[in-house]
Amino acid sequence: MCAADRTSTALLIALTILVFILLYGPLMVPIISSFFTINRGAVDWSQPTTSAYAALLRNESVLDALRTTLIVGAGAVILSLVIGAALALYYVSPAAKGREFLQFLIFVPFLMPPIITGLALLIFFREVAIDRSIATIVIGHTVFVLALVYRTILTRLQSLPPSLVEASYDLGATGWQTFRRILLPNLSSALVGAAILAFALSFDETMITLLVTGTQSTLPVRLWAMMRLGFTPDINALVALILVFTTALCLLAVRFLVRSDTVLSGQA
Amino acid sequence: MTTTDFNSDVGGRRSWLLGVAAFFGPVLFILVPICLFLSYSFFSVEQGAIVYTPSLGNYIRFFADPIFVPIFWRTCLLCLAVAAVCVLLAFPVAYFLTTLRGRWRYVLLVLLLVPLLMSYVIKIYAVRSILGGNGLLNRTLIGVGIIDEPSMLFVFNLNAVLLTLTVLLIPFAVLPIFLSLERIPQSLRQASADLGASGTQTFWRITLPLSLPGAVSAASFVFVLAIGDFLTPQMVGGQSGFTFGRIIYSQFGTAFNWPFGAALSVILVAVVLVAIGIAGRFGRHKGTF
Repeated sequence: MCAADRTSTALLIALTILVFILLYGPLMVPIISSFFTINRGAVDWSQPTTSAYAALLRNESVLDALRTTLIVGAGAVILSLVIGAALALYYVSPAAKGREFLQFLIFVPFLMPPIITGLALLIFFREVAIDRSIATIVIGHTVFVLALVYRTILTRLQSLPPSLVEASYDLGATGWQTFRRILLPNLSSALVGAAILAFALSFDETMITLLVTGTQSTLPVRLWAMMRLGFTPDINALVALILVFTTALCLLAVRFLVRSDTVLSGQA
Repeated sequence: MTTTDFNSDVGGRRSWLLGVAAFFGPVLFILVPICLFLSYSFFSVEQGAIVYTPSLGNYIRFFADPIFVPIFWRTCLLCLAVAAVCVLLAFPVAYFLTTLRGRWRYVLLVLLLVPLLMSYVIKIYAVRSILGGNGLLNRTLIGVGIIDEPSMLFVFNLNAVLLTLTVLLIPFAVLPIFLSLERIPQSLRQASADLGASGTQTFWRITLPLSLPGAVSAASFVFVLAIGDFLTPQMVGGQSGFTFGRIIYSQFGTAFNWPFGAALSVILVAVVLVAIGIAGRFGRHKGTF
């Protein structure tokens, strides 16, 4: 029995290593080759260089896409935080009507494949005659990340003891004062965590963006267009930078959320 | 909007206004687009303009045309295969994690989940760079001497899509399986051992059945994400790797037939709902431990 146990443990370890190789191995290729030049389709390993990174800084279309991505991300984060917080507060308020239906609506874009959300918005924008622009991308991203932001804030709200709010009212505070002095400080780490996660999601969002964008392109959409042409050092450099940036962003979000234990429940 | 009043005895008029304010955004930007999208599936296109006369034409075309139904089934099968491979790989990994003690269990779990938050497009690109005819996989296999010429097994076809989607979606399978394994009380396994069961018997009779709801919801997660994807088949599928998602996307691009694309998407939604329904059923019946 011991020998059988040892064999099965070895097998489990081997499979785990295989999965890690599958997950991380492919990502290493563009990162490593971003430091080398490519000659006639083959990587020239003789001499590491950072020329691809220098070339990126001169690439107007990439810088432009980066600007668009940051604007869209900031817009989507602000909108989804304000709306998500308001909807979470509405959900816990005793006077709320139809809260389960409202919550269901909020979750729909997160449960459906992104292509459905993108198409529905595309048709909507056409019917109400809104031209596709950076604003339509912001709306698309807000609709997409709202469920996650809302859920994170709601989970934290529900974990607060009701006596906090009651005590505040007993002491004569108004609704606004209670929100500003009691709820906001208690929600702050959840808000920051939700904001970072929302930004990370918006930063990577591609399928909805491809459908609702006009002439503007965000970084992933720009990358998508570049990648169809092939495997080049400047794509690799961009890929490496984005990977480092998003990984740092996510680790940061985990730090803010890990105590409230909403990281896992927020994703599932 | 954030100045929500917490008094429960607010006037009826005030709470009514608040309700309108709360519903405004979600109704306008989620419910209305979905309803428009549903009704579009009954419209048609003539000379580049949308004809707003409802008919079942799009759905009839889908079932009558010899092209679409086979691609639809092929895509479903492909995504089922992706789901199966993901669960088969994720289960042993999740199981291994639960056998670890202390912080390593969570460090490894986070490391398995980190790729989820990395750019989707970049991951597709990374896998493609390995797969190509001149990619790392082929060159390694040739270098080691397993094959003499570049193998075309994984170059721009459905196999490549299967492999890429599997790599992309494994983390989604690990999480639910891990959570359901972790929820099994230690006492059950101990009781099984006390009653004389071997480790293998305990696994097959206790652990596996109790973790099945997690495995089913993992599979449906992966299936839903795989079937809605059009980027991966576009990038690594080539000419032969045509999937349902790609056909839908093309209706909104080159083909310019939005109503037909909407009808195909409604069919996609129906499949997704079935998958979510199956997961929900399993989760509730056995997962409430």
